[in-house]
Amino acid sequence: MMHDATIHPSALSDILIKNAYLVDPIQGISGERVDLCVSNGVIVDAVSEHAIVIDADGALTLAGGIDSHTHVCGTKVNFGRYMSPEDMRAGRTARRGVMYPTSGYTVPTTYGNSYRYSKMGYTTLLEGAMAPLEARHTHEEFAATPLQDMAANALFDGNWNLFEAAQQHDYRQAAAVIAWVLRAVKGFGVKLTNPGGSEAWGFGDDLASLDESVPHWDVTPREIIDTTIKANEYLDLPHSVHLHCNNLGMPGNYTTTLETMDIPSALNDRRQTLYMTHIQYHSYGGSTWRTFRSESLAIANAVHNHPHICVDMGQVMFGRTMTMTADGPMEFRLYTLHHNKWSNHDVELETGSGVIPVYYDRKNLVNSIMWAIGLEMALLIKNPWQCLLTTDNPNGAPFVKYPEIIALLMSAAYRDEQIATVHPSLGKRAPLPTLDRELSFEEIAVMTRAGQARALGLIEEGKGHLSLDAAADIAIYPIWPESMDPAAEYEDIISGFSQTLYTIKDGVIVCRDGKVVQKIENKTFWSDAYVPPQYDVEKNPRFVEMFDRFYSVQFRNYAVQDEYVRRGHPLVRTGKWDTEGGG
Amino acid sequence: MMRVTLTMKPRSNPFLPIEAEQIIPENFIGSRQVMVYEGNKEHSLLNICVIRRDGNVNTPENVSLILRGDWSRVKRVGEYMSSGTIVVEGDIGMHCGNFMRAGKIEIRGNADAWLGREMRGGVIVCHGDAGDYCGSGYRGEKRGMRGGSIEVMGNVGEFAAEYLTGGSVAVHGNAGCFAGVEMRGGYLTIDGDAILPAANMVAGECVVKGRVLEMVPTFERVGEENGMIVYHGDIANRGKGRLIVRSTSRTE
Repeated sequence: MMHDATIHPSALSDILIKNAYLVDPIQGISGERVDLCVSNGVIVDAVSEHAIVIDADGALTLAGGIDSHTHVCGTKVNFGRYMSPEDMRAGRTARRGVMYPTSGYTVPTTYGNSYRYSKMGYTTLLEGAMAPLEARHTHEEFAATPLQDMAANALFDGNWNLFEAAQQHDYRQAAAVIAWVLRAVKGFGVKLTNPGGSEAWGFGDDLASLDESVPHWDVTPREIIDTTIKANEYLDLPHSVHLHCNNLGMPGNYTTTLETMDIPSALNDRRQTLYMTHIQYHSYGGSTWRTFRSESLAIANAVHNHPHICVDMGQVMFGRTMTMTADGPMEFRLYTLHHNKWSNHDVELETGSGVIPVYYDRKNLVNSIMWAIGLEMALLIKNPWQCLLTTDNPNGAPFVKYPEIIALLMSAAYRDEQIATVHPSLGKRAPLPTLDRELSFEEIAVMTRAGQARALGLIEEGKGHLSLDAAADIAIYPIWPESMDPAAEYEDIISGFSQTLYTIKDGVIVCRDGKVVQKIENKTFWSDAYVPPQYDVEKNPRFVEMFDRFYSVQFRNYAVQDEYVRRGHPLVRTGKWDTEGGG
Repeated sequence: MMRVTLTMKPRSNPFLPIEAEQIIPENFIGSRQVMVYEGNKEHSLLNICVIRRDGNVNTPENVSLILRGDWSRVKRVGEYMSSGTIVVEGDIGMHCGNFMRAGKIEIRGNADAWLGREMRGGVIVCHGDAGDYCGSGYRGEKRGMRGGSIEVMGNVGEFAAEYLTGGSVAVHGNAGCFAGVEMRGGYLTIDGDAILPAANMVAGECVVKGRVLEMVPTFERVGEENGMIVYHGDIANRGKGRLIVRSTSRTE
């Protein structure tokens, strides 16, 4: 693990950013020139005259970017690295100054991920899926992704203890299991990937609907999702349940997605109650690949009718990439289409995973429709707080494509230009060519940082906004909104969002004109949820017996030791145990 | 016609590898400085060898590079070469003729591994033996050599012509294990013996005129041609390639 980051004292001095064109949707600022003062890593009122002065001269200034669903660390990312040595030929950079050498394009090295995200102004990342049993490796890679604060969603989609609780509709017991696992593996939120389906895949099966029982268990995906959401809200975790719906990537799967949206009722007034990730992969109509079409209108309508649901795009961009998910059966289906190398993996009692490389071809009708659906979701969903910008990196495309997606959303002209290069039948299967909405800088700011901060519950931690006392995570882009028209000058939008003038993380200038200039250390957010003693699973003989009987690791060896999470930042939650008489 | 003779100087550590991707005919026209890496140090080529030029031309087609002395530790000679000729008087190191597009490389001695890897065109003739992965794709690459021809007078190591996609590879000696594995096109002929040739092939043609010491079982025998047995396969990979052998250890 790397612990060699020593910050030079000069890097810790105060910073004064003059004439910043600030867009901060959480504060309700939709573009005005302000001076920002930074001291001791936070935004302050005033700074001393010794402060470093940056004259932004009207350059677009946003809070540090947040990616609410990405795969950058952990065992399956690493498996993607070592099953595709050809990927390491691309994106090679030599050691330079404080930068380590990097390589890789679809699954770069950890420093490659960190540097490229920082270059784009990102300062916080959520690893979308961490197998609890393999959490140590994820945390080790977090330590080597130093320029971003990290958090990891722990996978619960095949967790036997959670199944037992869901079978009995006992959300308090489910809450106790979730709280224990999150504390043990230093996880941040609850990820359900194809709930029940990954477990069924252990028996060579998948679940086709929400009401089909998991083999050998009298429990359905609907019950798992419902119980987990209630447990999640009972614990009052910072983030909602993070759901990858059943039937990902199947033509006609949008009905499953619509049914899933009806499961939860609004249980939280600070944020959404259910986060549905990479919605693009779940908005497919038709019944076979030949009749495949976009159902983005139905899904977007449902999102409007469920204001307590938040989705992310999962945008597909053309070119080479790597798919990786805990959804084992889906990756196998993908393998039968591509006949390329593939991997599947089963994590005992918890989850599974699969990895395969893919190529999205703009001349292919299915791929063209997939590309269109992601954009349609962002354009059709009126409230940008409900649809966040992701590519499910690297499943839809590597995250370095974000600037292109921003340009596609801000410029109808650029979209038309791109539509002309894809499969000519696109217009018959997807409504994208008829959409003329062009997003504003404020909406883009919501979709790339403010919305994520709210969805992840990190506003209180000072993320996603630049109010007083907020974390000084700042991105200054070489874009001058006062004197440009993003709809016409989309090429400047792409180049501007690709490389910041300055990326500031916790009050330290870490990246300048695309070059990382400072080594720093990050922190790892994790959820420390209270559970009353009578619900403590460690004292539950059934839980301990199940653990000793089925796991290949000892109960006492399961938890991630503190040396793996040196800079852990627990978010303490008391939950609703007292108020609802559960305690 | 211009002859450029590069004579290797004695080196204090002759085992230290040299990376010399700039040694291609186009770089010897005019007075461009050619740089190479010896270990982790970058040097001018003048520090490594004596350069003698006979004649003067403007086009790389008329440049002939002669490599003299011990070049057995020099990698990537002729990478992305697109015209002219290179003659190696002794042995050559790994990755000779990487991604070569046109021109000719003649090796009078032996070649190390990865000779002509992912080659797209041109001619390579090796009078001695070639190492492993002769005419193949690099790690993880699904399309190997795509065009041109490689002729090896001696033996080749393991995985010759792996992922061969176009062009031809001719081996006059024996091949090691897995020659022509994962072939996607092109022609591979082996005059000597081979072990497990053409496993998992999808398309293309592999001819073994010597003995096949071990045969992959998933090939379908379809007939005989000029005293040779013709197989189709690899069925395990839904392949439509042709494997033609004189004799195998396989009993039908």
